[in-house]
Amino acid sequence: MAAPARGRLDPRSRILLVVIVSLAVMSPDGLRFVPAALALGTALALTDRAWRRAGALAAAGAAMFAGGWLTPLWWPHPITAVIALACQFTIRFVATVGVAAHLIATTSPTALSAGLRAAHAPRPIAVTLAVMLRFFPVVAGEAAAVADAMRLGGLAGAGGLARHPIRALERFAVPMIAASLRASEDLSASALVRGLGSRRRPSAMIPPRFTWADPAAGLALAALAALSWWARPLA
Amino acid sequence: MIRLKGVSWTYAHASQPSLRGVDLHIRPGEVVALCGASGCGKSTLLRVMNGLIPHFHIDGALTGTVEVDGLDTTRAELDELGLVIGAVLQHPRRQFFTDSVPEELAFAMENFGFPPAEIRARVADLGGPLAAVVGPRARLRQLSGGLQQQVAIAAATAHRPRVLLLDEPSSNLSADAVRRLAGTVASLREAGLTMVLAEHRLRYLRDLVDRVVVLRDGAIDVEWSGAQFRAVSDAALERLGLRGEVRPVALAPITAVGASVDAGADAREPAPAGDAAFAVTGGAASGDAGGADLELVGVRCRLGGRLVLDVERARFEAGRVTAVRGPNGAGKTTLARIVAGLQRCAGQVRRGGRVLGRRQRQRLTAVVMQDVQRQLFADTVEGEIELAGARGPAGSDARSVLAALDLLDLAERHPLSLSGGQQQRLVVAAARVAGRRIVIFDEPSSGVDRRHLRSIADQIRQAAAPANTVLLISHDDDLIALAADRQLTLGPPRPGGIGRPDGIGRPDGIGRQNR
Repeated sequence: MAAPARGRLDPRSRILLVVIVSLAVMSPDGLRFVPAALALGTALALTDRAWRRAGALAAAGAAMFAGGWLTPLWWPHPITAVIALACQFTIRFVATVGVAAHLIATTSPTALSAGLRAAHAPRPIAVTLAVMLRFFPVVAGEAAAVADAMRLGGLAGAGGLARHPIRALERFAVPMIAASLRASEDLSASALVRGLGSRRRPSAMIPPRFTWADPAAGLALAALAALSWWARPLA
Repeated sequence: MIRLKGVSWTYAHASQPSLRGVDLHIRPGEVVALCGASGCGKSTLLRVMNGLIPHFHIDGALTGTVEVDGLDTTRAELDELGLVIGAVLQHPRRQFFTDSVPEELAFAMENFGFPPAEIRARVADLGGPLAAVVGPRARLRQLSGGLQQQVAIAAATAHRPRVLLLDEPSSNLSADAVRRLAGTVASLREAGLTMVLAEHRLRYLRDLVDRVVVLRDGAIDVEWSGAQFRAVSDAALERLGLRGEVRPVALAPITAVGASVDAGADAREPAPAGDAAFAVTGGAASGDAGGADLELVGVRCRLGGRLVLDVERARFEAGRVTAVRGPNGAGKTTLARIVAGLQRCAGQVRRGGRVLGRRQRQRLTAVVMQDVQRQLFADTVEGEIELAGARGPAGSDARSVLAALDLLDLAERHPLSLSGGQQQRLVVAAARVAGRRIVIFDEPSSGVDRRHLRSIADQIRQAAAPANTVLLISHDDDLIALAADRQLTLGPPRPGGIGRPDGIGRPDGIGRQNR
């Protein structure tokens, strides 16, 4: 039984990709890199066959572009100016999240941990990030279940949130935290007795290894960055 | 192999110790079952053996000594203990660190630094038989409870520990899956592994255990050798609050047709239009002339592009409890979500012949979730009931409902401070005050003893009493035998089954005729 193929890039390349895109997009002159980052995120989603993610990313990028650049041209007004500012700020996060989603979707917690170890990251960081990656779906699952319970209890809805925002948030957060803590306790106990965080030097079933895809992705990223710098879209 | 001397443990903030002066010696290769009523200290004893007490559960007072394979568990590091002890928790899906079978099997070996080639060889060795059943790319969350349990045991033993501890491995398993679990335990016993199992169900271990230890209030109450245990009657087990033989239960099926309806268990020939079987009538048990039966008509649901539920017609009678059965992945949860209005689907859900929209179904339905903590929103028990009453019919009296469910003394307590059983009763009470007509119980008996099983069955029966429709999703044959009147058995939608959505019916054309 072979380990499933979870993406062709080495985990270290995927991590590096997220770091580089985040730094570029969030820098003071980062808007010029946003279209390239959005295109990269969409292309990665398509290679993952994650059609919904690809569609959502493209749609979110298009909506932010419309709100941030087209709407003020169509109707110059203080309201559209505020919307434009919000969209121009948010589109950077959309671009970063699009690339990070590829890392999360294609990298298992153990592969991430092995990749970080191979990159000589301190072990506490490798273990912590692996646990975080495993814990995301747990929290998401618990949040969805609490939201369902609120819907059935007639406690969900915009009306209640607008009238009593603190109470609505409390009703959501308290059961979600309680359920997440319970789930995380089992997960932590099981991982600890199976050696997670052990003082022994961990190994990997399939040690991370660079292939031709990694330098190819690096070249493509450099080309996209150069094109963005030269063309100055959105800047 | 395992030696406990005078072990006592009190959790922080607990008024009573969970273990009291436990002396136990387990020899190499021995298979020991720990049993007793819920809360008797079984799981705590396992935590003491694998070192989670005191290394993970650090707040509490431990006295006495615990040795496993010569290691003092209070002094040894958890990873030292992990090398010699494999552990399987009660809910396998909660303990998986990855989402693929090979990665999960490799997890402990990677952490303990085994050479990659050895890890791959062990994974191929252990994973081969699993791959034949589940496929090499199967996702762990999509496996049935029985297969998840097999993966959890394989993952706990992949690094070849000398001791295996299992916490209620048969809870949430159907009778068939329990038989497969017995086979796995037998093969590990053959391999010479020392095993300790905390269990409520004992009979599947009849020919496998060397000793049975019955705990009561944290202390050893009774010890039977394997031969003595085999001679103990079910009645004697019942007196101790223990579960006996797990017998497959076959209830009368509800009227149901569809590709998801298990052909062997429940399938009925499709009803022609106007057939009395699907005609609108009142609840048979309640005599409700207004017609409160719940019907699914042409219900089909796809998730991620995959057809997960296809029910051409199904009727759930009001005033009765219908058990929804079938393996994981058969669409039980999807069916419950559709009935509750939480899941979009094609087709109709009707009550008393009237089509209900999703919002209407949400207002009519209460779901008692497996983890009821998720559905408790108020600061006090009474507040929870008042919150439900604010959205229910006028005139419901919170205190009388609390009294009926034995919760009145707890009215001022925070709901999250209650025990699991009390929380479950509170959610049932809230559903009753809110006037919900459809009540769905989702695996309510996970890891409970015989006495609590009866109490849960009573709750379910009471929920059905006022002409409500009650659905019970469960793998627990003991609970189904006590609480359910009818059953609907689901399976993965059969290609070409009745009601196939692409219009291609069975060769006899029944599928097309039925659309």
